Amino acid sequence: MSRSHWTMLCLALLAAIALALAIGTIGYTPADTWRALTGQADATTTLVIRELRLRRTILAALLGAGLGISGAALQGVLRNALAEPYLLGVSGGAAVGAVLAVVAGMSYAFVPIAAFAGAALAVALALFVAHAAHGRADPRVLIMAGVVVGAFANAAIMILLANASESRVRGAVWWMMGSVADARWSETAWLGLYVVVGGAVLVTTARSLDAIALGEDSAAGLGVDVDRVSRRIYLTASLVAAATVAAAGLVGFVGLVVPHIVRRIGASGHRTLLVASALMGALLTVLADIVARAAMPPTELPLGAITAVVGVPFFLATLRRLT
Amino acid sequence: MVPPRVARIVSLDPATTEILFALGAGDRLVGRDMYSHWPAAAERVASVGQGLRPNVEAVLAQHPDLVFLYPSQDNRGAAQRLRQAGIAVAALKIDRIELFDRVTRLLGRLVGDSARGAYVADTVRHTLDSVRAATRSQARVSVVMPVWDRPLIVIGGGSFMSQLVDIAGGRNIYDSLPESSPTVTLEDVVRRNPDAVLVGPERSMTLRANPSWRAVPAVRAGRVLVLDTNVVLRPAVRLGEGAVSLARLLHPLHPQGAH
Repeated sequence: MSRSHWTMLCLALLAAIALALAIGTIGYTPADTWRALTGQADATTTLVIRELRLRRTILAALLGAGLGISGAALQGVLRNALAEPYLLGVSGGAAVGAVLAVVAGMSYAFVPIAAFAGAALAVALALFVAHAAHGRADPRVLIMAGVVVGAFANAAIMILLANASESRVRGAVWWMMGSVADARWSETAWLGLYVVVGGAVLVTTARSLDAIALGEDSAAGLGVDVDRVSRRIYLTASLVAAATVAAAGLVGFVGLVVPHIVRRIGASGHRTLLVASALMGALLTVLADIVARAAMPPTELPLGAITAVVGVPFFLATLRRLT
Repeated sequence: MVPPRVARIVSLDPATTEILFALGAGDRLVGRDMYSHWPAAAERVASVGQGLRPNVEAVLAQHPDLVFLYPSQDNRGAAQRLRQAGIAVAALKIDRIELFDRVTRLLGRLVGDSARGAYVADTVRHTLDSVRAATRSQARVSVVMPVWDRPLIVIGGGSFMSQLVDIAGGRNIYDSLPESSPTVTLEDVVRRNPDAVLVGPERSMTLRANPSWRAVPAVRAGRVLVLDTNVVLRPAVRLGEGAVSLARLLHPLHPQGAH
């Protein structure tokens, strides 16, 4: 990726964030928006821009960055173009945790914690199974274990929802479709911590990922402890994905599609790929959230559905070019 | 299909259960759905579980000769199977106030007491009329009625609650939406700028705890009105009571609805 690519990516992200602050159901002028951000507007304008739009935009950007970098790392370490956090059971585990909390009528404050715990359990389970089978984290076994853990989670969700009241089912389904509508600062701050720390850890493993891309034997020849570094990448990427799910529910396809887009615009080494995937993930998710709230007012569309609607055609086009 | 003298009834719809008790047919109920809690006597009737996609076997075990289902596409299969078993089935839609009137008279005829059916329907209608008359001269209070947080679901124009608010001298800011419970954005609530927020006791707590709601001027001004959800829960016998309590809430200075 050339310097101009980086500049364009950063400018596009800033422009998307500005657009997200300016666009909404209420038609404020750019001047109003700016005054609200600097604290010079009336109370309602300030609260709408800062508490409603700014909050959800920051959450959307962090969410996309986390999913993008996590997807890029997993595709690298598992050497599989289909790998993404959700394929590996992270989403399923998180969904069981969250649905359990919603159906039990627990306070919303517990839903992210339950989701995170569920995701962590699912990841641990898949890793345990893969180890038990081969004595090391075999990528193929890991993917299969993840898919099966996900299927088990789906079954558990259906059982949980079978007897739940209508409004709770609606709440649980909404959560599973992903949304940043009700972003809280505390959740956003937690996610920020995970994305920054987890992202930094992943970027330090970029050289190992480059070596692993050449094949496990070549990587071992280059002095990389493949098993140890794979496990570290796998766990870090999964925890980052789990944190995104805890903060905003299930937002699909970002983790899958973003690394492919970034490769298309010329990212080759993993260092570039990881950082650019974070930026591109943030860009796409912020744009998707604008569509989610502006497409059908006064109704809000689920963010996870928008990212999938945009992601699927793009992914299909990529596949056509590959073959 | 309905037997001349209905002796054993299963009601899988809370609104129908309420009306049956008001018609004095409560003692003929041999089964109810798990959400039929009112009146208190209903709790003593055996519950047969969910009203949506009910357990047909559990219904049959009560040997009913008439079953009231909750009106929904989901209940078509159950209706068909019950009819095959030779049991009369009815699904009465009561999601609007005018339907309550019709259904109550119809149920009166079904349980063999049309005079009582007419009496219950007339009593409710009379109360609603007097509340409407009492609030007519007053300024309308515009309200938003959130019922769920994530996603934000509000009462829409398709719900009887919108009608009840109108009778009680208010106006639902979402009365133009045809759905009964649409999903909306909080920013749109701010844009429509209601005079007050109308919520049940539980939701009023979560609403006050959620800082996003402070963007709504009515919330900042403390105009959060707490509904008596025991009275205004469904379009049934307590509609009149509901209208009176709502009118008192919306227009606290004017004692209307007093007979």
